[in-house]
Amino acid sequence: MSGRKEPEPFRAWEVPPGARDRLAGHAAFDGVPGVLVPALDPASVREIVDRLAAARDALHSAPVREIARHLGRVGERFLDPGGDLRADALSWISPFSGLSPDMAAAVLDGMASGWTVAALSALLDAEFRDPSVLDRFLPSSAPRLSSLRAMGPRFCFQVVAGSVPGVGTTALIRSLLVKSPTLVKPGLGDVALPVLFLRALREEAPALADAAAVLYWTGGDRALEDAVLGAADLTVVYGGDETVKALRDRMPPSSRLVAYHHRVGFGIVGREGLGADEVGRVVTEVAGSVAFFDQRGCVSPHVVYVEDGGSTSPSRFAALVAGALDAVGRALPIGDMDEIEVSAVQQLRGTAEMLSAAGKGVELHTGRAASWTVVLDPGHDLNDACVGRVVLVRPVADAGEVPALVAPRGAYLQTAGVAGCGTRTAGLAEALARVGVTRVTDFGGVAFPPPWWLHDGEGPLRALLRWTESDV
Amino acid sequence: MERFDEAVRELEALFRAGGVAVSSPDAFDAWALRCFAVQYDGCDPYRALCDARGVTPANVDRWEDVPAVPATAFKHLDLVVGAPEAAELVFRTSGTTAGPGGRGRHYVSRAGLYRAACVTAFRSHLLPDGVRPHLLSLVPSPGDAPHSSLSHMMGMVAEELCSASGWYVDGTGSLDVEGFVEAADRAEAPVVVAGTAFSFVHLLDALSARGGGVVLPSGSRVMETGGFKGRSREVSRDDLYGMVHTLLGVPPVRVVNEYGMTELLSQLYEPVLTMGEAGRGLHRPPPWLAVRALDPVSLDPVPEGSVGLLAFFDLANLGSISHLLTQDVGSVTPEGVRLTGRLPGAEPRGCSRAMDELLAASS
Repeated sequence: MSGRKEPEPFRAWEVPPGARDRLAGHAAFDGVPGVLVPALDPASVREIVDRLAAARDALHSAPVREIARHLGRVGERFLDPGGDLRADALSWISPFSGLSPDMAAAVLDGMASGWTVAALSALLDAEFRDPSVLDRFLPSSAPRLSSLRAMGPRFCFQVVAGSVPGVGTTALIRSLLVKSPTLVKPGLGDVALPVLFLRALREEAPALADAAAVLYWTGGDRALEDAVLGAADLTVVYGGDETVKALRDRMPPSSRLVAYHHRVGFGIVGREGLGADEVGRVVTEVAGSVAFFDQRGCVSPHVVYVEDGGSTSPSRFAALVAGALDAVGRALPIGDMDEIEVSAVQQLRGTAEMLSAAGKGVELHTGRAASWTVVLDPGHDLNDACVGRVVLVRPVADAGEVPALVAPRGAYLQTAGVAGCGTRTAGLAEALARVGVTRVTDFGGVAFPPPWWLHDGEGPLRALLRWTESDV
Repeated sequence: MERFDEAVRELEALFRAGGVAVSSPDAFDAWALRCFAVQYDGCDPYRALCDARGVTPANVDRWEDVPAVPATAFKHLDLVVGAPEAAELVFRTSGTTAGPGGRGRHYVSRAGLYRAACVTAFRSHLLPDGVRPHLLSLVPSPGDAPHSSLSHMMGMVAEELCSASGWYVDGTGSLDVEGFVEAADRAEAPVVVAGTAFSFVHLLDALSARGGGVVLPSGSRVMETGGFKGRSREVSRDDLYGMVHTLLGVPPVRVVNEYGMTELLSQLYEPVLTMGEAGRGLHRPPPWLAVRALDPVSLDPVPEGSVGLLAFFDLANLGSISHLLTQDVGSVTPEGVRLTGRLPGAEPRGCSRAMDELLAASS
C-alpha cells in the first residue's frame, strides 16, 4: 500500500459558489491527463450567465482604482517565486499549452508583469485622462459636452484562442476593470491561468469574483456558444478568421464584437544594425522574438527583411539567427508541435533543400528534429505561415521597400520589429502605419507588449466601452 | 529520352493490364529504380537534390531510398523530365488565392501514360461489374477547365468507359440543375455521378430547394472526392451520403470516395463496390503506387498501421517525380491507406477547393 495521495485533478472551470449547483457534473478530459471538464448544457450556462450579470451592481459599487488594486494583488502572486499560486500555474501551463516548462515560466513572467498593481494602474492612466470616469460622470474636456461617463458592457463574453497562455487572464482583467460581468471561454492551451486567477481573486475580493466565470468546453459547441452570445452585449473573440466568422454570424444584431483575428508579425533590420557592434544584440533579440510562445503569438515574426550592403550580409545574418535560435532552444526548449505544424515545416525544409541544391540562392539552417528552422529566401516566395520557430530571412535593397512588400497582407498586419534603420525609422514607421501595421517596436519589445498597448490598433479598455454623455 | 519513351510504352501496357506485373516488391523496386534513373537524368533540379544528398541511381536498390520531394516543391520548380514546354499537359493545383510561390503545377510529359493509369483504376473501383454507364458529371468538362487534373480525368473516363456524358457544372462553377434532372429522368441504364463533395452538397441543396430528388436507375453509382474545409456549408460524410441516398436514390454502399492530388497522377479509391461497407474508410492504391507513413518529425517509417505523414511512390509520375512527401496523414497496411483527414492547416491541393470557390462565388 502506498501512502501517496493521488494528485488533485485540475478543474477546468471556476464559477461563483452560488452557481456551482448549475453544473451538471464533470468528466475526465481525454485531451490533457488529470483534467476534469464541466458537464454543460445551454440552460445551465445561461443560468450561470444570469447570475454573473446580477453581480454587476456590486462591481459598480467599487471604485475602479480599488478593483485594479485587487486584480493587481492577485496578478503579483503569479510572480512570487515561493508562492503556491505560481507553483500551481507552472505545473499546469505546460500540460494545457504544450509549451516546455522553461518556456512556460518565461511566458508567465512576461504575461504576469502586465498584471501587477503598478502595471494596471499605469494601464488606467494610459487609457483615461481620469480613470474615475469609470466610476461616475466627469466634466468633459470637449467644448460642447458637459459630462461623460464610461460604461463597460452589461455582460461580456470573452472567447479566447488558447495559442498563448495568459491572454485569457488579460482578457478577464480588462473586463473587470471596466466593471463588466464576464464569462471567459478559454482555448485549450490557455485554461490554467484564468481559472487559477479567478480562484485567487475569490480569496482576495469575493464580490468582484462573483461577477466572473471561466468555463472550458471544446470550441465550436454552437448550442453553448449561442446561450452566451444571446446574453452578451459585447463579445470579444481571439482566434482564427473562421472562429470569428462563425461567432459573428450568430450574434444578435444589437450586440457588439471586438475581434482579435489572425495577425502576422514581421521584422526589418537595416544596415545600421548589421555592423559588428550591433549585430550580435539584434540577432539575439530577433531569435527571442521568434522563439517566444513557440511563435504562436499574434506578435511573433515569421519573416525578417534584412538590408543588403551592410557589414553583415543577409546570408550571414540568417546563419547568425540560426545560431541564436539554437542557443535560445537550450535555455527555453521548444514544446510540443502537432502533426499539422510539423508537416508544414517539413514541406518548407524539403522545398528549401531542393531550391538550394538547384542553385536558387536559398540557404537552409535547421535545428535538431523540428526545433527551429531558418531559411534565406532571396525569391521572397517560400511559405511564411509556419509556426514553431521558423523564420524566413528575405534580403531587400532598402528597408523602405518593406511597407509595399507587406501591404498585400493589409488587415492581417500587426507588429513590426525594427532595428538598425537609424534616422530612417520615423519615415519607415509612417509608411508601415499607412499599410496597416498597428505596432512598430524594437525586437526586444516584440513578444511582450505593455498592458496599455494599442491591441490591434485600439486601446484595450476603451475598445470595450460605451460612453454616456450628459448635458443636464 | 529514348530510355524515357521506352519506359512510357512499357508502363502504359503494364497499367492497361491492371498492374499485376508490379505487384511483387521486387518487381516494383525494379520499376521504381527505372523511374528514378529517368528522373535523375531528365530533371535538373531533382538531380541537384539527389547529388547534394549523394543518392544516385547507382547506389539505391529500394524505392524507399530514392529521395522524396515535398509536394510544395511543385510550386517553386519545374519538376518534369525534359523541357516543361514539351509537356503534353499542364495541371495546376486548385486554390484561387495564390499562396506563396503561386499555384503548384504538374507537367505531364506523356498524356497516354496518365490516361492508362486513370482509366484502369477508375474501371476497377467504379465499374467492377463491367457496366458502361452514362456519366453525369458535376466536374467541369476538360474544355471548360483545361488545367484541372480532375476534369481531365473525367474527360478520359467519359471517352473510354462511358456510353455518354453530360457536364452540369461549367467553368465558372455554375450548376445546371435542370439539365441534371432532365438527364437523370431520361436515364434507363445505370449512371455514374461524379463530383467533389462540395459540388454534391450544392446539387443536393438545389434538388431540395426544387422540391425533390431524382431516382437514378438501379445499379447507379457515385464518385465523390475532396472535402469541405473552409467552405460555407460543411456536411458530415454520413449526412452527405444520406442525402445522396434520399435525393439521388444511390445507397451509401454505392458511393465511392476518390483520393487524389494534382501532383500525383494515380488515384486511390474506397473499394466499397467490391468489398461493401467493409471497404469504407480504406483507400486502395493501384499496384503501381506504393505508399508508406512516416514519422512527422524524423521522417522515418512508422510501424505498419500507425499514423504518419503519407509518402507515395507513383510509377505513373514517370515524367515528373515519382517519390512524393505529402502533407496528408494516415496509416498504411497491406489492405490500403486509412486517411485521418487532410490536415486542416494544409493548403488545399485537392480539386475540391478551386471548384468549390467557383461554386460559392456563383451561388
